[in-house]
Order: sequence, then structure tokens, then C-alpha cells
Amino acid sequence: MDKEKDILKWFNGELSEEEIKNLQASEGFDTFEKIRFYSEQFDVPKRDVAASLEDFKQNYRSKVIKEKAPETNVRKLNFAMFYKVAAAVVLLVTLSYFMFSNNMYTLETSVAQNKQITLPDGSEVTLNAGSKLAYNKSSWENERNLELEGEAFFKVEKGEKFTVQMDEEAVQVLGTQFNIKDRENYFDVQCFEGKVRVTYTSGETILTKGKAFRMLKGKKGYVYDIVDEKPSWIQKESSFNEVPLSEVIEELARQYDIVIKTDDVDTSQLYTGTFTHTNKELALQSVAIPLRMEYKINENEVIFYHNGGK
Amino acid sequence: MQSEHGSLCDESSFNNFYATYLQAASNFAFYKSGDKASAMDIIQEAFVKVWENCAKIDPSKAKTYLFTTINNTFLNVVKHQKVVLNYVKTASYMDRTNQDPAYIMEENEFKQKLQNAIADLDDKEREVFLLSRVEGKKYREIAELLDISQKTVEKRMSLALKKLRAKIEGL
Repeated sequence: MDKEKDILKWFNGELSEEEIKNLQASEGFDTFEKIRFYSEQFDVPKRDVAASLEDFKQNYRSKVIKEKAPETNVRKLNFAMFYKVAAAVVLLVTLSYFMFSNNMYTLETSVAQNKQITLPDGSEVTLNAGSKLAYNKSSWENERNLELEGEAFFKVEKGEKFTVQMDEEAVQVLGTQFNIKDRENYFDVQCFEGKVRVTYTSGETILTKGKAFRMLKGKKGYVYDIVDEKPSWIQKESSFNEVPLSEVIEELARQYDIVIKTDDVDTSQLYTGTFTHTNKELALQSVAIPLRMEYKINENEVIFYHNGGK
Repeated sequence: MQSEHGSLCDESSFNNFYATYLQAASNFAFYKSGDKASAMDIIQEAFVKVWENCAKIDPSKAKTYLFTTINNTFLNVVKHQKVVLNYVKTASYMDRTNQDPAYIMEENEFKQKLQNAIADLDDKEREVFLLSRVEGKKYREIAELLDISQKTVEKRMSLALKKLRAKIEGL
């Protein structure tokens, strides 16, 4: 409707007095006029820049500066260094040429890190640790295609087909919320809202709200029920329902940036339970105790083993 | 060149950046959370992210980076309370000399309804509406700030206006 457009323009200060007068006769004008008038009068907390900046330096940034310090050591400039830098620059220029020519946008997380982005259409993606997401910025308007390695939670705005492509599987939706976990030997899609179509090498499944699909390497996929409204890792936990211990261990390693080894432990046994992302000891116990294992920590390495006594 | 375009890793450029966008960032977080204290915490953390990644962020994109970071914090992490904004001025509409009690009451009732209707908007509609109304930002500027298309901004604004009108008129 043209009137709707005019009202939008009016609120954006793009209408002339004349045009506003023409709008006056239209339905709802009085209400809109009052909304316009009063909504300009809202109060927001005023910030004191100097005090806030001081607080920022004292309480927020200090931690980061310590971590950054080693990088700022004085480096001697020599020719080897010069060539290295030159090579890096050439590489960077070449790379960026390729990247910008097809306009790929990539987001990557390292271990023990989550990242969130809003896509150009307003859809939201949260990336779990050790994952990678890529999409083509220039063709996004025409087709919503994404590539994913790892695990991510999607809140998709309604619109044209939205496709997440993995190595062997693809997931297609219109507008919904879902989680994909695509690790080496493990593929899992959970649908929290709407409908999701999962395509894999040997078939296709359509998931509705509250359903999930899981496929372990070399095994047949199966559908199961979920009760949660969001994937557990969003709340800084990882939940598992009858998942092989090997997968659970990989997730622990990813969340805590540690190396985990096992000694005489059957890693194909199934684990059901939850571990937190915020307390390493507690997380290790949450996995070890139900499976009657013990563990030892040596710096960045953890070993799960069975207590010989029992 | 101008300090604003210097690397963000440079202390004075960063301070400049901080001073320039603190209030806008604070407003934005406030529109989303409705809570003064938690809004401040969130923006400080967002500025930390900018500082941490100062070498990676193109200074011209730093503003978008800051706002996206704040936006993302709210996606899942922050549980926020109902956002009810208060009026700062007491100016009444149109006939500012009219002191008729019935008129004043009517106006107050309208203001109350508007507050409630805004609180009931979806987060995304409310943030667009308030960025436009309270800060007088153009749709184009809002789109740039939120890193979404202008179409999306207009769609959200349009929806917000429709909902506000329906709530206020009791349709």
C-alpha cells in the first residue's frame, strides 16, 4: 500500500509539509501523529564517558592487556624478516583478491570459543567451538546458501529457501530454528521450530519441531525426540543422549582446549548426561563418574582410566 | 590522517572510538535489555572485543563490529526484562496551553499505552523503532548499524507502527 510507504517516509522525515497534509485525512493519522510526538521524548541512561572509560580500563581491559603483552616484544628487523613479510603481503593480496572476487565471508571459531553473527537477511547463527561457517555475500540476496563445518545453531528469518551445506549432507529450511553438529564421525540435526529437510548420501528425512536426526559414521541414521527449546551448548553445557564416549571426549577437548587420552577404556560405550563449559573439574567428573572411570590431569592433558580395584 | 581512521590498537584512537560510540552503544543495549546496569556491562564487554581484535578490525567497520557484538550478546545469552522506557520531558501534545484536567488525563493515558505497546514489541521491532524515534536515525543508518538491509529495517518499522497503533486504538 502506498499509504503505508508514506507513513514510513513520514517517520523517516522524508515527507514535505504538503505531503503530510495529504496524509492527514487517512485512517489512524491521529494515533501515528501522537506516537511520533511522544516517542521522541523517551529517556535513556546518560553515560559519563570519562568515568566509563576509566572503569573499562580498570576492570575490563586490564585482563586483555596482560595476555597481549608478549606480542609487543621488540623484534629486530632483518632481511629474512623483510622477505617473510613481503611474502606474507603477496599472499594476503592474492588471497584477498580471490576472496573478494567471489565475496566469500568466513567465520571461524577456535577451541573453547563461541561466535555469533547476524546474516544480511536478519537470520542469526551461533557457532560452537572449533567450527567454520562460510557464505557468499554477493549471491546471498538470490540464494541463501551457507557452508558449515562443525556445530552451529540457526535462527532463520522467513523467506526463500535457506540451505546449509556440509561435506556430504545438506539441510534445507524456509524459516525456523535448528542446530547442526557435523563432526568427523558424527552428524546430528535438531529441529526446534518449523520444518527442516535433511539430505544425506543415502536418503532424506524431514524433521518437525521437537525431532532430531543422528547418524554415526558407517551406521544408519535415526530420528529421535528432543525436549529442549535450544541446544544445550547455548547455555554453556553439552548434553548427550546415548552418544559414543569418543564423541563426548572430542567435545570436552574442544570446549576446554585440552588433550584427552584414554587408558583401557571402551570409547564406543554410550554416554547419557551433561557437562558444563565453565568448570573443567566438574565437567570431567560429569563424564567420568557415570561411566565408572577415574581421571588424572597433567597440565593440558587428561587421561581417563579404570580403577583396577573395582 | 584523522585519528578516527587510525588503527584501533593505538591507545588514543581507541579512546576516541570509545568516546564517540559509548552513548550510542549504551542506548542500543538499553533498548534491548531495559536494564541500566546490565546494559553497561554488555557494552564494556563489547568494547573489550573490539580492543582484543583491534588488529583484525578495519577501522571503518569498527562501529558495525561493536553493534553486532552487542546484538549477538542478546541472541541467547542475556535474559532481559520487559523494556519500559520513561519519558524525559513533560511536554504535552499539540495544544500545550490546554490545562483542562480531562485533556491531561487523556494524554497521560495515551503515553502509558504507548509505553506498554512498545514494551510488547518484538525486540527487533523495538530496537528499530527506538533507534529511529529516540535518536532520529534514518532507516539507512539503522541498516548500516545493524548490518542488515534497509528493506528489513523498513519492514520492522512498518510492523512496529502497525502493532503500536493496533494496541493503542484497542483494535
